Amino acid sequence: MSDPVLDVKHLSTSFFTDDGEVKAVRDVSLQLYPGETLGIVGESGCGKSVTAMSVLGLVQRPGRVVAGEILFKGRDLLKVPSDELRQVRGRDIAMIFQDPLSSMNPVLRVGFQIDEAMYAHDKIPKEQVHSRDVELLKQVRVPDAVNRLRDYPHQFSGGMRQRAMIAMGLSNKPQILIADEPTTALDVTVQAQILELLRDLNQQLGTSIILITHNLGVVAGLCTRVIVMYAGEIVEEGPVEQIFEHPQHPYTWSLLRSLPRIDANRKDRLRSIEGLPPDLIDPPPGCEFSPRCPFRIERCFSEDPDLAEVAPRQHAACWVTMDRAYAEMNAGSITDTRPGAASGVRPPKDLEPSAAETAETAMQSEPEPVGADEQA
Amino acid sequence: MTSAVAPGPAPAEATPQRTPLLRLTDVVKHFRVGVNASVKAVDGVSFDVFEGETVGLVGESGCGKSTLGRLITQLIPVTSGTIVFGDTELTTLGGERLRQQRKHLQMIFQDPFASLDPRMTVGDIIAEPLMNFGLMRGREKDRRVQELLRVVGLNPYFNNRYPHEFSGGQRQRIGIARALALNPKLIVCDEPVSALDVSIQAQIINLLEDLQKEFGLTYIFIAHDLSVVRHISDRVMVMYLGKIVEVAPSEDLYRSQAHPYTRALLSAIPVPDPRIESKRRLVELSGEIPSPINPPSGCHFHTRCPIARAPGVCADEEPPLERKRDGHLAACHFAEDVITALTFGPAT
Repeated sequence: MSDPVLDVKHLSTSFFTDDGEVKAVRDVSLQLYPGETLGIVGESGCGKSVTAMSVLGLVQRPGRVVAGEILFKGRDLLKVPSDELRQVRGRDIAMIFQDPLSSMNPVLRVGFQIDEAMYAHDKIPKEQVHSRDVELLKQVRVPDAVNRLRDYPHQFSGGMRQRAMIAMGLSNKPQILIADEPTTALDVTVQAQILELLRDLNQQLGTSIILITHNLGVVAGLCTRVIVMYAGEIVEEGPVEQIFEHPQHPYTWSLLRSLPRIDANRKDRLRSIEGLPPDLIDPPPGCEFSPRCPFRIERCFSEDPDLAEVAPRQHAACWVTMDRAYAEMNAGSITDTRPGAASGVRPPKDLEPSAAETAETAMQSEPEPVGADEQA
Repeated sequence: MTSAVAPGPAPAEATPQRTPLLRLTDVVKHFRVGVNASVKAVDGVSFDVFEGETVGLVGESGCGKSTLGRLITQLIPVTSGTIVFGDTELTTLGGERLRQQRKHLQMIFQDPFASLDPRMTVGDIIAEPLMNFGLMRGREKDRRVQELLRVVGLNPYFNNRYPHEFSGGQRQRIGIARALALNPKLIVCDEPVSALDVSIQAQIINLLEDLQKEFGLTYIFIAHDLSVVRHISDRVMVMYLGKIVEVAPSEDLYRSQAHPYTRALLSAIPVPDPRIESKRRLVELSGEIPSPINPPSGCHFHTRCPIARAPGVCADEEPPLERKRDGHLAACHFAEDVITALTFGPAT
């Protein structure tokens, strides 16, 4: 495989709040290859957006990148001066955000805002800027492009605004486009159109895309490789087909089974993930997912697993992995998703969550010894 | 469940032995905007809901689904039409008599942050409906609050805490406990899980299903996420521009549709499976949703419909919501052509 266009090594980003240091991203390494669409999935607060913000130097106080390297074209973006980083941002690496309305200036015409992005970087010759903005709007399939350039953002619908944002992002022909929840605010029919647009642009222009989303369906449709994050760490990564068919981390596995699927048997009860994500000021020792994991073993409470190869090109950070869980704990037939249900392992005494914290899970089911019958 | 929904004031095929818990007949809600214009948010909707079932209501933003939910609970008055709950006509009730009916009609809201008063304790929030109706006080009330907390899977000793101490999923549980306080018959759930993370969504959906079984509740479940709606509902109603365009049993909604809009909506839903995704074909809708101030003539959907015959019957005549094949009701002149004319992905 060719060299990555972006190589993030051991990135850690923290927010220094009054309550303590929130370790939002911990030791995240990722590579983005030319022409690739990489998905980063996870729930709110898992660090997926902060990772992207860190790449572009957009983390604001009280947040700060505390460790790591972000290598782009052989340079560490964390070390370049801010005016040089500004030249990279928007020119070589562009970003589009979830809410296209608040990402645009309401009192400036859409055309002006697209032009501005090009003038700022001098990559596109000035005399070409005007013809290029029409071309861009056509490329993102805004009908009647010539006239729509004179409109203000409020005259655009949500989907059209996101298209205009994508046009802005593409204006300087960036190598990388980071899309942070680009379709979350949109209706599903519009979402499908935007995703199709991103797919076509990726194929036609060869732009590498990092797609950040909580929607596993979106990842399945657009991405070739996926990174799953939980509580600030990468728990699993690999080619999309493998991750969806043979997830090895219990979190990925649980997440896929907790979704109501439009093509599934409706009578199946959803396998929820009990409990809540951990507090990132004081993450649990050992594996972050262990307090919620049905397959945990004793080791999970004391040692944090590193990413290890579990299949060709697929890595998971888990002591158990689903292959073993299927073989030894009958993972396929478990219906009880309570923590430790499949393995029967309870946390050590000193880690036993206090009464207050367990409320969400403990009260839901009878206090019988967890997992004993599933083992049989 | 064969003829749960029928258009018009006199349901044509209603099963005689079952009387609906809720019957909407030609319900219209227009919001006035400016001098001579009104937003036709709900534009002639009729359906029945039977006791113990869950009816899902889906549609894209602005289709009128939330307005319809608010009309059912009488949070806003109808412009015309009738809403009969049990044997009481709600739209003509006012004051105390309407208030008494509210005991049986409760609502769960989308935003678990905005729907709980930050300055009340969780116990007071859940007890408020009991206090409003003067049903319980003192010890008895406290016991009821603790019981409700337990029922929704929270620690019963959390009653002295404040909403900000809870996560989104826990707050939604508090909202559910409040809705249950008066032992309602019908609960309108307006996007109850769309603000929650995926792993928490499943917890709340399972809780709602458990509560339904335990207390024999009837739900109207409003959401934009068709996968969630289909999972929890017995029947799904699809809305477009203030009208119901299709009603289908959840089991075969994915396999067959009788309205082109439903088909387009289904084709747009991403499935978390790359193999299916690679085969999925989008039923493209042209243009955007027209303004509900001035909806298109005839069938509201004809301007975007891939199989519309306009000019022609689609632009001229409004199709009635009527029985098509396999227990589907659809408002389309060419429902028979939907499956053959519009193919998408693995469903065909």
